[in-house]
Amino acid sequence: MIRGIYAIVILDLKRAWLDRARLVAGLAQPLLYLFVLGAGLGASSQQGAVEYKKYIFPGVLGLSLLFSAAFAAIVIVFDRQIGFFKAVLVSPLPRYAIAYGKITSGAIQAFVQGVIVLPFAPLAGISMSFGSLIQLILSMFIASLTFSALGVAVASRFKSATVFPIVSNAILMPMFFLSGALYPLKNAPHWMQVATHFDPVAYAVDLMRGSILGVFYFPPALSITVLVLFVSTVSWSAVSVFKRGEDDSSLGATQFNWRR
Amino acid sequence: MANDNSLTDDLLAVHVNGLTKNYGQTQALKGIDLSIKKGELFALLGPNGAGKTTLFSILATLRSPSAGFATVLGKDVVKDRDAVRQSMGIVFQEPAIEKRLTGRDNLELMGLFYGLSISKSKVRATELITSLGLEEGADRPAERLSGGQRRKLELARALVTDPGILFLDEATLGLDVDARRAFWGHIKGLTESGRTVFFTTHYMEEAEVADRIALIDAGNIVALDTPRALKSRLGGGVIRLSTEDDVKAKAWLIEHGYTTESHSKELMLIHPDPASVVPELMRNLNVKVQRVEVHEPSLEDVFITLTGRKLAGETPAGEGRGKGGKWS
Ligand SMILES: Nc1ncnc2c1ncn2[C@@H]1O[C@H](COP(=O)(O)OP(=O)(O)OP(=O)(O)O)[C@@H](O)[C@H]1O
Ligand SMILES: [Mg+2]
Repeated sequence: MIRGIYAIVILDLKRAWLDRARLVAGLAQPLLYLFVLGAGLGASSQQGAVEYKKYIFPGVLGLSLLFSAAFAAIVIVFDRQIGFFKAVLVSPLPRYAIAYGKITSGAIQAFVQGVIVLPFAPLAGISMSFGSLIQLILSMFIASLTFSALGVAVASRFKSATVFPIVSNAILMPMFFLSGALYPLKNAPHWMQVATHFDPVAYAVDLMRGSILGVFYFPPALSITVLVLFVSTVSWSAVSVFKRGEDDSSLGATQFNWRR
Repeated sequence: MANDNSLTDDLLAVHVNGLTKNYGQTQALKGIDLSIKKGELFALLGPNGAGKTTLFSILATLRSPSAGFATVLGKDVVKDRDAVRQSMGIVFQEPAIEKRLTGRDNLELMGLFYGLSISKSKVRATELITSLGLEEGADRPAERLSGGQRRKLELARALVTDPGILFLDEATLGLDVDARRAFWGHIKGLTESGRTVFFTTHYMEEAEVADRIALIDAGNIVALDTPRALKSRLGGGVIRLSTEDDVKAKAWLIEHGYTTESHSKELMLIHPDPASVVPELMRNLNVKVQRVEVHEPSLEDVFITLTGRKLAGETPAGEGRGKGGKWS
């Protein structure tokens, strides 16, 4: 089982390494938000451009983690079409190992992408003590796991990758905008502050922001509890999708489904 | 009775009883009975859509039967699925290697999926690469291998856990004659070391390497025997005629006491001594004969006499069947 998870992770990372150009391309979006949106919006905010960039840096980090985790997860949809996974599915490897392996590999890929964004922190005017850097890295780790579990749970339910833009617009963007990544939650309208409580991205971004700026919106202990609970329920739900494919009558066909 | 079963179970690699499979309205298998001995090289031969992949998939635990039961190496394919999976190797009709990774990576990963340790799966991958003669190319992305090398790699992948039984679904699809011969050479070697091999094909030449062949058509096994016995069922030789008026010729033949194969669209008769009868036919037939062909009965002829239909793809090399074998 551990070997199975390890094998899935190695498989995914080997493939991701072939696509390593994506790591560089993946920088475009966060840097655009940070330096263009940051500069533009910051200039008109009361805090001023420098403070604003500092403020949104953890949000942009979250964006980068969120989207790279989603991208890693979308590979599941393609995997369904490659024969190799048929061979994996007829091995005695338990299905939950595949789900956990996918979540782990997605988290690693997201985390690596985040680490690549990190060196831009000084450009956003951020200076951190070693302690808060460690805190930030731990928060990034939790955030990566959260987003990857979410991505795998969602992607495993889709048969075609063409839905990705729809999912991205209907799930990821709202979660990102609601999270307070780009504006302080305490000034947001009441309904938004309520909605935010149901948005895992908000807790993850807040943990990272707190690590950098030292000011939390949610108590960190609450954030960690919520995220841990979220990761476990969502992983469990992903596992159940993979398990439903146990008696997969379409496995013999050219295309097959995780679920029937 | 129960005792009988358990006794023979030791010798049987596959035991299938009253197996049916429905896909909605389609009845893909209509009650299959089958026993395969351990160490046997067994072919399932039939045209496209006959139900080969369906039977294969049920035996290999990929689909569940609608009724009936099947055991593989004494284990029920439904109730004991994981045990069956642990003891079988499988080559699919479509490619099942990650083409962007090297052959070695593919084999090592598969070892891990089957629960080998990291070092064991490395050793096993090297062993297989050597024994299948894949040294050249094993460290290249699999997409840059030749068709024959890829199929060998598929075989290597199926052999990672040294399975007692191997299932192959049209395993040589798209290979040229030499590559096919080499492939079946390896398979022969495997059965000699006591493994059972079950393979499906719609190439009759390929089926002839088997110890026994089951002919399958429209979900039924229509014959099951050794290649030689199947062909000798027809006795003598096959005469094919093409005339200016086949209908008239057929009527004449029947009138004069010949039995034509009623199933066959062309004029085909089976005769114990074709050499003596052909000159007489040519002389007496009341329509002009354009072409006459006499040959030893082939599996194709056996199939036609049994079902009236041809097996597809008699010429394996060089034809594009436009399905399954595509790589990308
Ligand atoms: N998933 C499915 N859903 C519905 N019908 C199916 C499915 N798979 C196969 N069939 C039907 O069942 C029958 C047997 O199909 P099967 O794939 O077993 O044939 P085959 O002998 O392997 O053919 P081929 O030589 O083309 O691979 C066919 O009529 C086919 O259309
Ligand atoms: Mg088939």
